[in-house]
Amino acid sequence: MARLLVIDDEANIRLLYAQELGDDGYEVVSAATVKEALQRLDEQPFDLVILDIKLKSESGLDLLQQIVRERHNLPVILCSAFSCYKDDFSAWLADGYVVKSSNIEDLKAEISKVLGKKSQRG
Amino acid sequence: MNWNCCWTKEQIEPGECPNIHENEDEFRTLPARRIVEKCFYCDRFRDDLRTMAEGDQPLARFVPLLVEGLREQKNQIAAMAGSLDSRNQEISFLHELAEVLQTTMNLDEVLSVAMTAITAGKGFGMNRAFLLLTDKCQHNLGIGPRNLQEAWQTWEEIAHHNYSLTEMASQFFNTKLRTEKAKFHDIITRLGALLLEEGHILCRVLNGHRPLMVDDRIRAAEGDNGLSELLEVDSYLIMPLVCRNRAVGVIVADNYVTHKTITRQDLESLETFGYTVAFAIERASLYDQLQEKIERLVDANEQLLEQQEQIVRMEKLALVGEITSSIAHSIRNPLVTIGGFARSLLKKKADDDPLREHLQSLVTAAQQLDDVLNEVMTSSDSLYPTRDQWDVNLLVYRVNEDLTDRLVQRGITVRLDLPQNLPMAFIDFRQITFCVKTIIINLLDSLPDGSEVTVATRLIPQGILLEASATPVPSGHTVSGLGIMVCRNLLEKQDIPFTITTTEQEISFRITVPIERRE
Repeated sequence: MARLLVIDDEANIRLLYAQELGDDGYEVVSAATVKEALQRLDEQPFDLVILDIKLKSESGLDLLQQIVRERHNLPVILCSAFSCYKDDFSAWLADGYVVKSSNIEDLKAEISKVLGKKSQRG
Repeated sequence: MNWNCCWTKEQIEPGECPNIHENEDEFRTLPARRIVEKCFYCDRFRDDLRTMAEGDQPLARFVPLLVEGLREQKNQIAAMAGSLDSRNQEISFLHELAEVLQTTMNLDEVLSVAMTAITAGKGFGMNRAFLLLTDKCQHNLGIGPRNLQEAWQTWEEIAHHNYSLTEMASQFFNTKLRTEKAKFHDIITRLGALLLEEGHILCRVLNGHRPLMVDDRIRAAEGDNGLSELLEVDSYLIMPLVCRNRAVGVIVADNYVTHKTITRQDLESLETFGYTVAFAIERASLYDQLQEKIERLVDANEQLLEQQEQIVRMEKLALVGEITSSIAHSIRNPLVTIGGFARSLLKKKADDDPLREHLQSLVTAAQQLDDVLNEVMTSSDSLYPTRDQWDVNLLVYRVNEDLTDRLVQRGITVRLDLPQNLPMAFIDFRQITFCVKTIIINLLDSLPDGSEVTVATRLIPQGILLEASATPVPSGHTVSGLGIMVCRNLLEKQDIPFTITTTEQEISFRITVPIERRE
């Protein structure tokens, strides 16, 4: 089963994603800050990262660049309350972009799509 | 001794001297004036001189010689007075011409005055003239009749109205300019082409800056490349128009109808006239150029103002978008939590659970709020135009300004090769600015301190080519980095060609942005 890392500064969102994605059979690990996320990434391998853009005072886009640079095979889905970052140049590095919604079906569909592509690439 | 002439008398009677006319009575009572002005030309007086010379007086034989000498001198004075009068008229005419030429800056009006002056009886009185310009051949002009009938008609009309030069020139400019151009279209076109032929008599006169009167003698000696056949005359003159040592054109003039001989004096008079006209033509041309430049500046200024207004408008809209976005974010996260958990709980409740209805209400309400938020976000995004008409050179200037500190610190020079008059590009200003900036930064990072980067723009058939290049490149340099990767993605999405060329000598980035609106 795929292991996902959810990085979001909102505890309720982390909890919701962990529960919902866990129900779908994914193994979900959460992180609230960039530092915590990097620790988790060092501790174990992941199949996919779900990354919020605004992490309190930290930038999810900076973390995205670091992940792409250091772990270029690890796909990242940006999940943000902002739709405007879709046009941001840095966001183009991500494999997917989902605007947060009360219905997380869009996110689930994007996860399936990105993981499907990853398995195709081998 | 008996004398035939009346020179011995103090006073004579009317009719006594055949050379004194009815209204010249004063000569009858003034013998000194009568002798000098009338007797010297009288046959009777000559007879008396001859009689006197045959007499005994030793000095008598010198008197006829003195009289002859005096008559010769009088004739010379009369000739000089005539010449002086003619020169005075010429100066007066040139003065009038200069005054008229000063009243206008319009090139066609200047040419109308010049051509009228050459052909007017009050001016130089040539039958026909053609004016050919070196830079503005569309203004080439002919004036004069094409046949005898037309000539008489025109001359009668001028004589009848007794027009001044100003009136004639004004009439020509207002009513005849176009028809005269059409009338002489064939000759003007041919002459215009001959003026460009190296070695042709017209070209020789133009480059030699000296007028030439072409007649049988010149044609026999030098030939005239068949110009006399084209003009259908035996003699004509070619006058270069020279201003500040630059030939601005030539005038070809002839007496096509009257075949009156063109004299050396005609040529000299026209030479003086030529300087005045050449100066007026040059001044009108410069004025035209000045007007064009002013218009271009005004246009550029208007465009600049429009762009400034657009920037201000966009900044305002961006601010609105930012505020909206911030509010949406603050609402979105709690909403995801409420709606998300409500959906999660709803899935786990049995169909008959009484809480199910409440949870469904929560899910519906959250979905409604989601939809409202999406609408707000979409409308705030659409307030910010992404692609528009932009000046690529302005974009490059801005990027260069942004990077100034960095460039100074590294001692790197950016040479800008940005031609004027480029059309507007249809681009997303922010994104292309990002790309150009990223490319230059990439170059800076790979070059040693003190290097030079060239940024150039060019209009090509596919759009506007924006090229950033540097030479020489340090050995082993490769183009890499996240920035370039993002640029490539960004430009690919907009179908904007992006190429990177690296050789041992040079590295160059080329972006071709469109100038046509693309949806």
